[in-house]
Parts: sequence; C-alpha cells; structure tokens
Amino acid sequence: MSKLHVTIEGHEFVVEVGALPRHDEPVRVTIDGTPVMVSVSSLAGPEAIEWAVVGTHPYELSVDPDLRWIDTPRGRYQIQVRDLEATVARPRSGDGRVKAPIPGRIVRVLVEPGQPVQVGQPVVVLEAMKMENEIQAPRAGTVSDLHVSAGQVVKLHELLLEIS
Amino acid sequence: MFKKVLIANRGEPAVRVVRACRDLGIPVVALYEPDDRGALYVHLADEAFLVEPPASYRDPDLVIALARQCGADAVHPGYGYLAEHLDFTRTCEQEGIVVIGPGSACLELTTNKIAALERVRQAGFSTVTASSRAFTPDEADVLHAEAERLGYPVIVKPWSGGRGRGTQVVREPARLLDVVREAAAAAQAVFGNPRVYLEAAVLPSRYVEVPLLADNYGALVHMGERDSTIQRNKRKVITESPAPGLTPAQRAAVRGAAVEIARLFGCRGACTVEFVVDADGQYYFTEVKPRLQVEHPATEMVTRIDAVREQIRLASGQPLGFGQDDVRIAGTGFLCRINAEDPWRDYLPSPGRIGMFRVPGGPNVRVDTYAFSGAEVSVRYESLFAKLTVWGANREEALHRLRRALTEFAITGINTNISMLRQMVSDPDFIAGTYDSEFSHRRLEPAARPDGESLRDLAAVAALAFLARVQAARPITPTAFTSGWHRDSRRLPQ
Repeated sequence: MSKLHVTIEGHEFVVEVGALPRHDEPVRVTIDGTPVMVSVSSLAGPEAIEWAVVGTHPYELSVDPDLRWIDTPRGRYQIQVRDLEATVARPRSGDGRVKAPIPGRIVRVLVEPGQPVQVGQPVVVLEAMKMENEIQAPRAGTVSDLHVSAGQVVKLHELLLEIS
Repeated sequence: MFKKVLIANRGEPAVRVVRACRDLGIPVVALYEPDDRGALYVHLADEAFLVEPPASYRDPDLVIALARQCGADAVHPGYGYLAEHLDFTRTCEQEGIVVIGPGSACLELTTNKIAALERVRQAGFSTVTASSRAFTPDEADVLHAEAERLGYPVIVKPWSGGRGRGTQVVREPARLLDVVREAAAAAQAVFGNPRVYLEAAVLPSRYVEVPLLADNYGALVHMGERDSTIQRNKRKVITESPAPGLTPAQRAAVRGAAVEIARLFGCRGACTVEFVVDADGQYYFTEVKPRLQVEHPATEMVTRIDAVREQIRLASGQPLGFGQDDVRIAGTGFLCRINAEDPWRDYLPSPGRIGMFRVPGGPNVRVDTYAFSGAEVSVRYESLFAKLTVWGANREEALHRLRRALTEFAITGINTNISMLRQMVSDPDFIAGTYDSEFSHRRLEPAARPDGESLRDLAAVAALAFLARVQAARPITPTAFTSGWHRDSRRLPQ
C-alpha cells in the first residue's frame, strides 16, 4: 500500500493505492478516503498513459515523464506528487551541458567561452523548420566549453556548449 | 481543360492540388526529393519524378524541363515560393506552359508592394503608409530614419511572400534592428530574400482579407471575407469567415473595394486582397496576394466553392460561369493551423515521426494534411502540417464544432499546438468575436477548469503515474517520446 500526497493546481489530495497489477487491469484507488476504480491505458510509465477512466468519468490525457503536469483537452494542470513514506527525493537532471534539442543549423552563438550566464539566458540561435529558435542556458554559471560556431549544422543531441 | 498538371510543391499544398486534379479527372504529376519518398502527395499522384539533390523541387528550370519531359501543359505552384516567382512565370509563359497562379503581368504589379500601395492610393482607396523602399538589416541608419518618419509603432514585413508569417510590431526604436534581423532571417529561410519593408502600424486593428476568383474575360467575384487577426508566436493560427464584428455597411464596403482593387492589378484565377480594419471600421489596403492562400478552406466552407478546382478551370481558359449573386455565403467557417511545435516551451519546433494520428470527423469537419500515422514531419520544412476547418450554420454552432473537433484531434510522437488552440477557442474575446490585434500579444484566459470532482480524478491518475514511474525498472520507449529529443529537452529550463 502506498500513501501519496498529490497537489493539483493548489488542491491537495491523499491517494492510497495497493500493489500495481501486473497487467493493465483496473486499479482500486482511495482518494481522501473514498474508493474508486481507475483504468488507465498502460501502467508501463507516466508517458504510456494516454487515457483513463476514473469511476464513470473518461479522460484523454498525457502525463509529463517528470510528473510536473497532466494535459487534458481542457488544459494543462500543474501537479506535484510526494510519497511521504519515501525518504529519497527524486533525482533532478541539472548538468550544464547544452545539447541540440532538434537537428538544425546554428545561426548565431550569443556567448563566448568564459562568459557568465544566467538561467534562461539565450546562448545559441538554432534554425530548424524555417524558424529561428533560441536555446537557453539550463543553469547559471560560466561558459566553459563552446563546441559550435555560426553556420554549423548540428545533429540531434549534439553537444553545443557546456556551462560550469 | 489541361491534359496533365505538374505540381511544383510538396506537403499539404501538393496534397490539396492532387485532390483537385483528381476530382476534375486530370492526370497529375508530382516531384519529390529523396526525403519525400514516403510522402502522401507522391503516392496519390499518377506519376512521380525523383529530384536528386542539390536540385530542388523549387528549382524553376528543373520544373520547366520536367513539365516538358512528362508532357504536362500546366504547372501548379501551390501556395508557396514558385507561386509568386516572376522569372519562373515568365519562362513558363514563353515555353507555352500554363502556370496555375498569377500571370507575369499581374505579378509585376503585385510583387512591388510599395508601388502597389501607391497604385491603390491613386485609385482613391485608403491604404496603410509604408517605407519608401525595402531594406536589408545592415541599413541601420536609414531604417531608423524611415521608422521615425512613419512614426512608431511600425510593422516589419518581408518583401517577398507572407506564408503565415505574421506581422511583427515594433513599438520603440531600441527594438527595431532586432525585429528587422529576425524578420529578415525568416524571409531568407523561406523565400531566399532577406529584404523587409516597414509599415506604419494601425493599432488596434483587425486583419481582413477578401478572396476572389477571376476569369480571363473580365468576370470577377469575391467570396466574402476572412478575419486572420489571431496570431501566436508571430504567425497566423486561426482564421474565420465571414469576419466577425463588421457592420453590414463595412462588410459591403470592404468587399466592394477588394473587387475594384483586384481589377487594378489584372488578377486572374484565385487571389486575395488584404486590409487592416481599425477600431472604427475604417479599412486600409495593405497588399494583394495574387494566388491561392493557405486559409482558403475557411472560404470553401462558407461558399461551398472548391477554390482550387475553380482556379485550375479558370487557368485553362474556361469562363467563370457564375456571377456575384450566385456566390452565397452561409454560416461561419473556422480554420486552425496545426503546427509541429511546443507552445509551452517557447514554440520549439518538434519534428519527428508521428505515432498515433486520430483526426476529428463527423459533419462539417475537414482536415487538410500531408500527415498520417507513421509519417515524418521533417526538420527541413516549416512546422505547419495540418489545417482543421469546421463549418456551422451560425457562429455559435461553428464554435461548438471547433471545440469538439480540437478535442477529438489526437497526435502522438510530436508536440503540437493543439492544446494551445483549445485554450484560445475558449477565451472570452474569441468566443465573443471581439478580438483584435492585441489578442495576439496578451495572455490567454485560463481554460475553464473542471470542478473539484475532476481534479480528484486527475489526482488518482497522477498517483498511478507516480507509482508506474517508480516501478518502471525496465527501460521503456513510449511512442510519445520516440523522437528522442523530448527526453533530452527535459533539461531545458521551464
């Protein structure tokens, strides 16, 4: 039995769930003391959830792999899930390597090695799908390595620069 | 009628032209680059010619040579680059190949947008005020002087084409060069011409365009008007026809002006005359697009006229065969551009392979797209990959249907702007039809939130998602994330 605290758009719920079934069968869930049957398209992972039927209410939705939001046709909901019985916080990826999020061509490099940068500061302009896209610094720090220059074509996930 | 039509385009425009040709019983030929081997328009065509790089399907000489080779007596350039290419059109005319689009005489008048404004002004119509010529981004001093002369705010527009590139407003001198540089880069990427010009902005305003059909013998009709005011990320996203919020007198005036202006330019086939309308309903001419437009399905919904079929028929020399009174505009049509991008992450483009592709159906719903389940959305081309068009007997009915259709549309494998469109069509200003140019810049009203019971349901799903994540010891590659960069993009700041 897991006891989870779920916050959605500022509303808090206590959700209790027994062991997850082996196959994608309906699960009995207790929300704030009220039991309900929940079917989801797949329990292979958050990304595999495409629909759910909670009690008598059907939903089409998608869930952020990092569990920060749920999308439904009615909008995006900020969520937070905490397991009060677990002691380890979930890991956050936060390294300073900036990689190409899409294949494309470097139009401009906006920083120089050694330059201090702030979180969210544009560092590179990448052209793809006939649009210019600003790639932003994932964290504050100093540009330690610059691997690309203007005009260069980059592959998906190619390392552009590093911030340390 | 033509013996055979060659399509000098790809993607959705090519699919649209294949369909129109097939409906008319005309054999149709596609050109494709190796990447497009699996493309829908290639498979639907009667013949398909591979174009090996570095040659391109947009190469005028190659298109003309292939038209000769395959015996096509007409070329359809779609609604892109070649549709407004003067040299290409001129050469085709010399070679005896009909271009299903504007003739060179019309193009000579419309491609110089500043001279076009002057022509319309001299005919007695109000126009916007533009810079004296087009500029490149390095002409900083002249650009600043021109912007001062016009008075801020000014709009930066590409000298060539439009193609859904929305207008970019500059409100202060400090921003001018940045916006010019950005607009020039976008124009370079799409049209190969970085030049831009400036226009004194009419704000707040609505962007109203009147589509027309004309034959070679002087018959010319308008097909109502569309409102394409709504932009996001500097690109048009929603169009409706007829334009909401015009009085009957204003509507008649703008339609009448469009007919006379189209005649000034000798437009043939399908064309569009574009205006901005200020808060008082006064209209100002901005430009003539002498070709079919991306938004034409909205007009097709309210007129029940197949604009591409008519365009092909008129280009073949047939007379229009109907008059203005025969064009009946009924109900309301909405068109949404569905783009492969992530509106929640700065509109980052989202190329990749489409997994699940469920299109909306039912009465009066239409989807124009090159995409299907398993199709590739290429990083090389623009992010527009589908157009959703709906019709209703009145605006309210059309709105319900639009919301319903957007809810039915489900795509995995790439990110799309569908969730943002759902939010836009729930915005009070949009529902009331009272939006103007400011709508594109302001924050959207949050969508109607479900009641507490629904939040409780979502909490249950969130809990299961959490446990599924914990339990997922084996690596999984769900369809929604197979294009790879999604996983990595989690590192991008929020």
